[in-house]
Amino acid sequence: MDITLVINENQHQVRISPGEKLLPVLRGLGYMGAKRGCETGECGSCTVLLDGKPVNTCVMLAAQAEGHQIETIEAVGVHPSLGWRQTKGLHAIQQAFVESGAIQCGYCTPGMVLVAKELLERESNPSEQQVREALSGVLCRCTGYIKPVQAILRAAAILRGEIDVEEGTGLEWLQPFPDEPLPPNDISPIIDTGTDLQVRVHPKVIIAPETARLKRVGKPDPKVDAIKLVQGKPAFTDDFERRDMLYAKVLTSPHAHANIVKIDVSKALALDGVAAVLTWEDIPRVAYSTAGQSDPIPGPLDSFSLDKKVRFVGDRVAFVAAESEEIAQQALDLIEVEYEILPAILDPSDSMKPGAPIIHDEPEYVNFDESDPQRNLAAQIHIDIGSVDDGFKQADQIFEADYEVPKVQQAHIEPHVVITYWDEDDRLVIRTSTQVPFHVRRQLAPVLGLPIKRIRVIKPRIGGGFGGKQEVQIEDVAAHLTIATGRPVRYECTRKEEFTSSRSRHPMRIRMKTGVLEDGTITANEMYCLSDTGANGAHALTVTGNTGHKSMALYVGDGKYRKNPNIRFRADIVYTNHSPSGAYRGYGVPQGFWAVERHMEDIARALEIDPIEFRLKNALRAGELQPFSTAWSEGREPSPEVIETCGLEECVIQARAAIGWDQKFGNAEWHQIPEMPYKRKGIGVALVMQGTAIPYLDMGGASIKLNDDGSFNLLVGATDLGTGSDTVLAQMAAEILGVPLEDIVIYSSDTDFTPFDKGAYASSTTYISGAAVVRASDKVATMLRQRAADMLNKEDIGQEIDPIDIVLMDRQALAPDGRSITLAEIAHNALHHENQVQIMAVDSFVSPVAPPPFGAQFAEVTVDVQTGMVTVDRLVMAVDSGVIVNPLTASGQIEGGMTQALGYAVCEEMVYDLNGHIREMDFRDYHIFHAHEMPTLETIFVETFEPSHPFGVKAVAEIPLDGVAPAVGNAILDACGARIGAIPATPEKVWRALKKHQA
Amino acid sequence: MILEYHRPQSIDEALELLERTEPRSVPMGGGTWLNSPSQDSFAVVDLQDLAINQIQGDGKQIKIGATVTLQGLMKETSIQRELVATLRHEATINLRRQGTVAGTLVSSDGRSPFATAMLALDAQLLLLPDDEIVGLGDLLPVRAEKLKHRLITEITIPRNARLEYQYVARSPADLPIVCVAVAQWPSGRTRIAVGGGGESVRLALDGKGPDGALSAVESSLSTLQDEWASAEYRQEVGGVLVGRCLESIKTD
Repeated sequence: MDITLVINENQHQVRISPGEKLLPVLRGLGYMGAKRGCETGECGSCTVLLDGKPVNTCVMLAAQAEGHQIETIEAVGVHPSLGWRQTKGLHAIQQAFVESGAIQCGYCTPGMVLVAKELLERESNPSEQQVREALSGVLCRCTGYIKPVQAILRAAAILRGEIDVEEGTGLEWLQPFPDEPLPPNDISPIIDTGTDLQVRVHPKVIIAPETARLKRVGKPDPKVDAIKLVQGKPAFTDDFERRDMLYAKVLTSPHAHANIVKIDVSKALALDGVAAVLTWEDIPRVAYSTAGQSDPIPGPLDSFSLDKKVRFVGDRVAFVAAESEEIAQQALDLIEVEYEILPAILDPSDSMKPGAPIIHDEPEYVNFDESDPQRNLAAQIHIDIGSVDDGFKQADQIFEADYEVPKVQQAHIEPHVVITYWDEDDRLVIRTSTQVPFHVRRQLAPVLGLPIKRIRVIKPRIGGGFGGKQEVQIEDVAAHLTIATGRPVRYECTRKEEFTSSRSRHPMRIRMKTGVLEDGTITANEMYCLSDTGANGAHALTVTGNTGHKSMALYVGDGKYRKNPNIRFRADIVYTNHSPSGAYRGYGVPQGFWAVERHMEDIARALEIDPIEFRLKNALRAGELQPFSTAWSEGREPSPEVIETCGLEECVIQARAAIGWDQKFGNAEWHQIPEMPYKRKGIGVALVMQGTAIPYLDMGGASIKLNDDGSFNLLVGATDLGTGSDTVLAQMAAEILGVPLEDIVIYSSDTDFTPFDKGAYASSTTYISGAAVVRASDKVATMLRQRAADMLNKEDIGQEIDPIDIVLMDRQALAPDGRSITLAEIAHNALHHENQVQIMAVDSFVSPVAPPPFGAQFAEVTVDVQTGMVTVDRLVMAVDSGVIVNPLTASGQIEGGMTQALGYAVCEEMVYDLNGHIREMDFRDYHIFHAHEMPTLETIFVETFEPSHPFGVKAVAEIPLDGVAPAVGNAILDACGARIGAIPATPEKVWRALKKHQA
Repeated sequence: MILEYHRPQSIDEALELLERTEPRSVPMGGGTWLNSPSQDSFAVVDLQDLAINQIQGDGKQIKIGATVTLQGLMKETSIQRELVATLRHEATINLRRQGTVAGTLVSSDGRSPFATAMLALDAQLLLLPDDEIVGLGDLLPVRAEKLKHRLITEITIPRNARLEYQYVARSPADLPIVCVAVAQWPSGRTRIAVGGGGESVRLALDGKGPDGALSAVESSLSTLQDEWASAEYRQEVGGVLVGRCLESIKTD
């Protein structure tokens, strides 16, 4: 049918099918600002304004929109400077989003800007609640919503004329943190928006003295990609079109465990518009691992692009490429498959039982370490530090308890999506939303029968990953179909496929055993972990290894035990017929800390020792050995690591003051709500640590070159998946080269052009890739100083200048005698005038240590003791992540991480029925937090200066995931005595725990 | 799969389209449910140009046009405050701007806060042709059959009934695991609906007063056992929630 759409006041005549949704039609017309995140209207990333009102275009027919005015993000504002043409610039809302750090991955940003525009057009002075209500239609998995709310309130004040943007951005450097902890509940504003609300763009920061001299490092610079993302520019994988593109779909298994006896694809192939149908019989049988990790992969090779056996509901059966998604979908329905259904394992405790079905019986299986497919064992870990049995013998009391954590989904709003095509040199280009472009290239080469040199992987902007895109999960689908057809192929997971067929956090059952003396000294600590890796063993060893490596390392004991801790960690990581587990932000550590920190709380209470005092008495301190560093290193040779910096105690001081622990904990009156006698308030704490990269393995590279105008191109293989890593890497380069951030043009990443980087995982980018940038920048700075000295000395005035005495700042090379040369002059001299040379450098970095960040996380909850419903009222995290390169992006990491962890604590889980079918297949059932139901979040940075990094940084990305759940669990215990062993703390679980407590 | 799209300009034209069996034709309000992925094939009859999106107060009743959006209804000052709460709980704000009152009710499952409240309020639906008035409670169990070739044009709820709503969920904005809505008329007539699971919300009580409310709720929830919660839990908590609703009505 033919319709007319009016989009941004332009008329478009389009021919559509009756069922075609508005979203693909808009995108087909080039309006790429509307993004696809789901198919059910829950996420709101496809928002446009229809007659001025926000609507979700994934659940609206294009035909429904005829006769209405459509406004997309493309009409809202444009870059303020486009050469000689005057522009209207960014809208005030967009500008506020950029300045307030409201943009992380940017995938949901166009939707947020549009709902804000509608709100501010009808309500010029909205309350925070109104802003949150307006934002509640757009899900964000990155930010925790604080900064988008602040941005909208700021924009409102600007539009009302109450903030003069010419007077300042509001992002001027914040005052140093006061010597004394701030009083509880302090929410004093850093900036005043002119509204009644107090708005804090910045976190609180205790600034390390070593950073005081720095110009760019430590400053809240807006993200380097913010302006493009706030305009909804076509920056993501799917915002790109090729002529003759085919659309891929995957037929998936309806059975948890079955052999494929027969597949008949003849009807599908006969369907008009179908270009290819591939089954296991059509492609090479190559065993590989989908875990995006460095070589050698620390896990079994147990995956095939397509196999003759299916191992979970959602496993691959066949690939289809067709002229449209609709045709591809119809073709799937025409494929006839005969299955031999096999008994399935849906409880991990059954996996290793004698006689259990063997999930991986294929002869091509390649073992790693102690994997044993005959016992459904993907990996096994035995770690003994000290004399654990002796430690238990020396204990006055031994505490044992069981804990459980669920399978949860990364739920990045941009689904997995890839486009593949042959370029003019017959090299395969893979444009993909990945955290690991170099691993994709290396790992897929044998699967596709191509040498590495004939594969190019391009990583555009990523709409969130959180570990889910550390998997080489979908690139092979499109690549095989491109090889089969010779044509470009696009493959994008549906939201349902994200739940049924993608990766997730490992669910675990954990048993803790801890020996203590009466004074609270831990004498021995033991953890056994049964980890469900699902149908494949990608990340099996390394995720679960980190469960022990981090959470069991935090408490070493006190006194003589401090130097010689007794720690045991055992784990069986078993195959089941669930969808595969994999990497998810935190990488096994949140699972461990749920058990450890709930256990520590119970022990402290049983011993009647203050829970914070008990923890700090036994916690790891600076100068001590990371106890696991001599025992385990992700399947590689371990090497001793001493903790150089540990701000844990200061984190506790600051966070306990911020949440008012001393006024609330143990205060019976505070726990009561007089007007609601069936509700109780509670407060809880958890202390946590993470790692920063993998020592002796994780490597990042950087390349910098000088341009004619004194600007620099910085090329990094590091993968900014919305975290802001491009920005902080550029800040480090700017610091060394003495230029403003805008003079660093950063690009990431493309395996043809950018240096190798292992990718975005293990909380490593700022530390590893950052150090590579520093090294390359130092080399370039040396060249700049040398040439500046040469140029100045040629003037033959006064004393000869030694290059070492030249300072780079304010786009100039400054000599001690006051003379200076601009970087542009140096560039012109080097590129055009004399002794011509391209000033550029490449360098890389690998670390011998993985300095841990530390944190103190507190939660305040209200429990309905009649129903078990838990409302989390407040989360506070004080974190020692070393020097904070950018407090705006770093606090965004903490806020977003706490929000994901909040879902882990109370509502997120993937539940399977007795046939292996998952309950959650959309954002209606898999509930992630919305803007209007968030608790108060507060972030405090306690800076230390980590000596192993030139700017003293440690990791920030993963640690906020670790302590929210146990802090909430401990707060529930504090509120009402309900002892929760398994998360999420759903109302019925709390209700049952209350019954048990009351009995 | 949507095979055809029609946008009739009159009720008669809409009914004519809906009368067809090949292809099966269904009315489309906002389309938030019909436009979600589906294996079914059908034609849609878009109701947006029909003038059935008005809200009118009529003495003791409020007549709500079938295509009034959920967000539009929230702005209506004459409806019960707690009905607004259930609307807010039903869907995100973007979906509330698209989803219509009738579409939401006929596509509702047992976790729908709005359907729970409307069932408690004894919402009456006007079906064309034949001007048949059907109570929501009578319609929901047989909706697929009853609505074939029919068009809902109006929904009527009482203006003078008090409404209270309580729920339990995993988070404040998550759909309920258990919810209870209590409507009470000045005459004392009391209707109690429960939800939180299953294919449809359930009517627990329609009496001259609240007598027997607790046992009615417990009985109604006694079979509501699924992966979200046990029947044992729902029965006890349902009892708690209905007690709170009745207490709130009493003290208000």
